[in-house]
Amino acid sequence: MIKTEQLTKKFGSLTAVDNLSLSIEPGEFFAFLGPNAAGKTTTIKLLAGLLKPTSGRALIGGYDIQEEPTKARQLISYVPDFPFLYDKLQPMEFMLLVGQLYGMDRSEILRASQDLFDLLHLDETRDQLIENLSHGTRQRVAIASALLHNPRVIIIDEPMVGLDPRSARVVKDLLKSRARQGVAVFLSTHILEVAEELADRIGILNRGRLIAVGTMSELREASGEMGALEDTFLALTREEEEAEPAEST
Amino acid sequence: MNAIDFFPLFLKANLRMTQRRISQLRQQSMLMMAVILLFVTGYWVGAYCLVHWGLGVLVHEFAGLGVLLVDRMLYLFFAFLFLMLIFSNMIIGYSSLYESQETQWMLTLPVRHSDVFSWKLAETMVLASWAFVFLATPLMFAYGMARQVGGLFYLKVFLLLLPFMILTASLGALAVLLIARYFQRRAFKWGLCAMAMIGVLLAVAHFHTIHPEGTQEAALGQLLRSSHLTLKPVLPSYWVASGVIAWGEKSEGRGAFFFLVLLSNALMGMLVCVGISGRMFYSGWSRTQSQGGFPLSAPRSGRPVVPLLHRLVDRLPGIDPITRALAIKDIRTFCRDISQWSQFAIFFGLLALHVVNMRNFAYDWNNEFWAAFVSFLNLGATSMTLATLTTRFVYPQFSLEGKRLWLVGMAPDGLRRMLLEKFWLSSAVSVAITLSLTLGSSWLRGEPPWMALLLGATVVLMSFALSGIAVGTGALFPNFGSGSTANRRDDNPAKIVSGFGGTFCFVLSLAYILLVIGGEALPFYFYLPWVNGANDTYGWAVVGSWVFTATISLVAAAVPMSLALKRVESLEF
Repeated sequence: MIKTEQLTKKFGSLTAVDNLSLSIEPGEFFAFLGPNAAGKTTTIKLLAGLLKPTSGRALIGGYDIQEEPTKARQLISYVPDFPFLYDKLQPMEFMLLVGQLYGMDRSEILRASQDLFDLLHLDETRDQLIENLSHGTRQRVAIASALLHNPRVIIIDEPMVGLDPRSARVVKDLLKSRARQGVAVFLSTHILEVAEELADRIGILNRGRLIAVGTMSELREASGEMGALEDTFLALTREEEEAEPAEST
Repeated sequence: MNAIDFFPLFLKANLRMTQRRISQLRQQSMLMMAVILLFVTGYWVGAYCLVHWGLGVLVHEFAGLGVLLVDRMLYLFFAFLFLMLIFSNMIIGYSSLYESQETQWMLTLPVRHSDVFSWKLAETMVLASWAFVFLATPLMFAYGMARQVGGLFYLKVFLLLLPFMILTASLGALAVLLIARYFQRRAFKWGLCAMAMIGVLLAVAHFHTIHPEGTQEAALGQLLRSSHLTLKPVLPSYWVASGVIAWGEKSEGRGAFFFLVLLSNALMGMLVCVGISGRMFYSGWSRTQSQGGFPLSAPRSGRPVVPLLHRLVDRLPGIDPITRALAIKDIRTFCRDISQWSQFAIFFGLLALHVVNMRNFAYDWNNEFWAAFVSFLNLGATSMTLATLTTRFVYPQFSLEGKRLWLVGMAPDGLRRMLLEKFWLSSAVSVAITLSLTLGSSWLRGEPPWMALLLGATVVLMSFALSGIAVGTGALFPNFGSGSTANRRDDNPAKIVSGFGGTFCFVLSLAYILLVIGGEALPFYFYLPWVNGANDTYGWAVVGSWVFTATISLVAAAVPMSLALKRVESLEF
């Protein structure tokens, strides 16, 4: 459902994403990890078609996001870490706008929105302006609007930031259930517990390069650390840090 | 989804949001609404009366030449409007297309890039043009009244302005597309800044050469020659002005011809723009997003470049370390915000233009009334520009601290120190600028030293007072943007100023200026020797008027500042 072929993005002399080749199947929950400035957000932006790759390509449902962006975007939902919402609209008005942009009819939007509002506990906020909502509630509205048109691919960047434990649980369950329904979920996070709990496979990016990818047990095996994902992550990124100066000399 | 489905959806959503903004404004404050309405109506009526009177004088005083002068004024006006609209479309268009979070969101939707661009083009055109069109309406009405045309004329002029707006928006967007595609993000801001400065310098150089001395005929001839540039038939401003003139003369066919010329060019411009946007907009978007932040001044010597003002503050004795740190922070923040410089350059350019032109007011220097009138006119223009400047740049300073307010607030006596620091910094910069400009213009006009001293002392007092008003009202009526404290995100000074506090600050500044100039000018008028002959009270009247100015200035600076200092003591952040 998501496929990258030697995807590379350079910002001047800095290679933010380096030859990334990855394939994520329908129904797979993929967690993307990496230290700060590893290139996670750049990768996500390349997948969402917000940046042009320097070389390589990204395919969504078989459509090249650069060549056939409209068809590819019909399949995607992208939720950035600071999602955009119209402050002067109410959550339901925003849902109506988004639904219509994806070609849904009004009754379908209202029904699907109500389901999502119930799930994400947004019913109380429906008459308020978005500008008056807290960060966590805004995040939930953004997630609801992203799931409205039943996307086949969900690309989501740091969804748990600002969510209270109850909302975080709801979002995790919602994403997991969508994956079970055949949706490919690509989640970028710094919260290793979330990745460990939800992901079918985990990819670790460091300095733009995919240094490890696999199931939890495969990563443990590769790192030699049998403990929690934190130990595995630290071991893998440490190895990379240590290997880097050696390579350069 | 194509543009036909996409546009009505966004139009509907935007209309709803605009409606909410207006109703929120109504709920916010009746005083604010009243002030805004008063200003809008005041501007409209004032501008209409002034233009109508001016047109009447031109037509009646200069038989034969008057109509030519009126027409030339229109060509000149639309030429400036043309440039300003392109400039405004470029600034708004660039931030709307390449720096807005909304554009990023739109680009993830299943719509074509060219449709996103078209929507943004329309949005930019409305945002960049409405104020200019509003400013033009009293002029057009006065012109219509002077020409004694029917109501249909105004509708036709409005129709003529529409393709003019579309054309300028297309030209601005075209420039922005090319800049984003081929130049660095920072180059755009530097380029705008340079354009503003070059424009001002060219205007100074051009108008500096006009010396309307000698006979009226010679002066008029010089004015007509210097504005000849606006009569180039390739200029869209020529088409719109010619259309207005033709319809004013009831020459329907000629007017329609210019309307069609404008319309065809506007549609062509839009077609070209939207046509190339399919390829260029997304490439430019990706390019601007790939540039990120730039290292600031990486000098060859390896030492960081420190602004002159920063170095000055660093070496000034007698400043406590916290105030010094705050001042340096403010200077650094301003120096690094290039987008503010272009506006700063325009303000000072206009002021410089005014000062340079002061010597052209050489109508009758021997007449004491005229000399005093020009001096006070100069003082008025300088202080009005300073008031605009303090409102635009100093008033938003407190609000700009926004969600970072706690940082200073947690320091011992932090917010009080911060306010005082902003007051002293603003006053020092204002004094340096206005004093040099006032003394410079006095020297250019060859004023007696006592008059230069009086005016110099007055602008020093006014600089302190206007800074006090701006800093004080900035803290008393901050505009942190909408939403809860956590959601404070208004980092745009222009947006902050547009709220109630900004309006109030400007009104208060204008009221203060009127009081000071009135206070100083009236005794001059009543006691000057040309009215009453030489008398002993003349000198005392001058001293008295200056004492009045000093008192008013002290009150104007001290009252808002002390109220603000009290308020920040109990501020929750």
